[in-house]
Amino acid sequence: MLYIIYTLILAYVTFVVIIEFLKEKKWRNQLAMAMVLLVFILRLLQIK
Amino acid sequence: MSIELIIFICMLATFALSIFLFKMPAGVSLMLAAVVGALIGGQGFPVRHLVEGGFGFLEAILIISTAMIFMRVMQETGALAGVSRGILRLFYRQPTLLIIVITLFVMFPGMLTGLSSTCILTTGALVAPILINIGMQRLAVGALIAMAAVFGEVAPPISIPVMIIGGGVDMPYIGFGLPLLLVSLPPALITALYFRFRYLPDYNVAKVKVYLDSTDGEKYGFKLYIPIIFVILYMIGEIRFHEFVPHLGVPLIFIIGTILGLLTRRGVKLIDVSRTALRSAMPVMAILVGVGMFLQILALTGVRGYLAVTALGLPEGIRYLAAGLMPFMGSAYGSASIIGVPLVYVFIGKSTLVVTAVLVLMAALGDLMPPPALLCAYSSQIIEEPNHFRILKKCIIPMAISMAIGLLILVFAQEIANLIL
Repeated sequence: MLYIIYTLILAYVTFVVIIEFLKEKKWRNQLAMAMVLLVFILRLLQIK
Repeated sequence: MSIELIIFICMLATFALSIFLFKMPAGVSLMLAAVVGALIGGQGFPVRHLVEGGFGFLEAILIISTAMIFMRVMQETGALAGVSRGILRLFYRQPTLLIIVITLFVMFPGMLTGLSSTCILTTGALVAPILINIGMQRLAVGALIAMAAVFGEVAPPISIPVMIIGGGVDMPYIGFGLPLLLVSLPPALITALYFRFRYLPDYNVAKVKVYLDSTDGEKYGFKLYIPIIFVILYMIGEIRFHEFVPHLGVPLIFIIGTILGLLTRRGVKLIDVSRTALRSAMPVMAILVGVGMFLQILALTGVRGYLAVTALGLPEGIRYLAAGLMPFMGSAYGSASIIGVPLVYVFIGKSTLVVTAVLVLMAALGDLMPPPALLCAYSSQIIEEPNHFRILKKCIIPMAISMAIGLLILVFAQEIANLIL
């Protein structure tokens, strides 16, 4: 149960970060966001 | 010169060049430094290790994300404003106690999120007008808030620099409560007293009462404070009464607090609040991913082992000097990851918990220092001061006192650990 809840929390945070990533204008900041997103998405997809 | 030292110097140089010359975010700079380190170490482009390292602080990143959302919701519901008003109403007759409680209140978001900037942007922004109106100099208000933010970052239950150092030396985040309180609370109290007697000598109770009555705005019901009370009690309950309180984990506690917060007041839009919260937490989240990669490559190329072995052979005086230099890195996370990790090995004969706590205090003071002087810059925005170095100047004495306390605890780390642990 906790596992599913934490997956949902991570999915929500990832969703918000994706919105921010798309709205961001500066490529340097987008790069930093991409680093965080990479970790989130790999975990959500159970790849790592 | 050994190859490990060459790799380490190249990594530091890449990090510095990337930040200062190419104006890259610190997280990206750490990743670039890791890539350069791996290339020079003959490991090629180590995708697997970069990804592996990036996951090193996933839990800390989740804590920061959820804690920031929780704090923003508390700000939007008016709970934080209510607390600051309540503090003034309760303690306005006792200025010394008032300044101490305000300092602890400013520290509060940092204690929960592990981020110093949150303290300034949430509680700091709320108490600044109060402090100015009760007669404290504007610059002193900025300095007090910035200093309180530093102590908030160090204080338990959540301290991200400890997690960073712990990640570097394979030490779990357990048993740090008392050591972190020891290195954060006394300097915070001394700082509060310093600002009280140096910058608020002529406190006029009648004038403050007039100000209090003139700003009597919205009344805040008790239900607004339920989320904060829940979060604090549950965190304590999880640790102290773990037989009865089920373990949920810090991120879930914050999410429950957030949901309670949304129920206590209508009109707070979760998605908007989350976006604002994560936008301000993003630099730190990226730094944590970058630090993970950096530490992974240090281990992969043998630099970590080299630093540990070299550190053990350092003369006694140099060890304390190295600890005293930590604030001059200009960033708590940078300092914790780059100098903090080897320094834990340097003091290996002493209590690791107390030593790490002191190193975190030293590292956290770096958030005040240039070139970024991040906390002074945030604080200057709050008090509308164009030159943030004037705030840094006001922080010098409390910083020196905090460093002296830190070094003293470091010298007697084992004796103190025997007493408190």
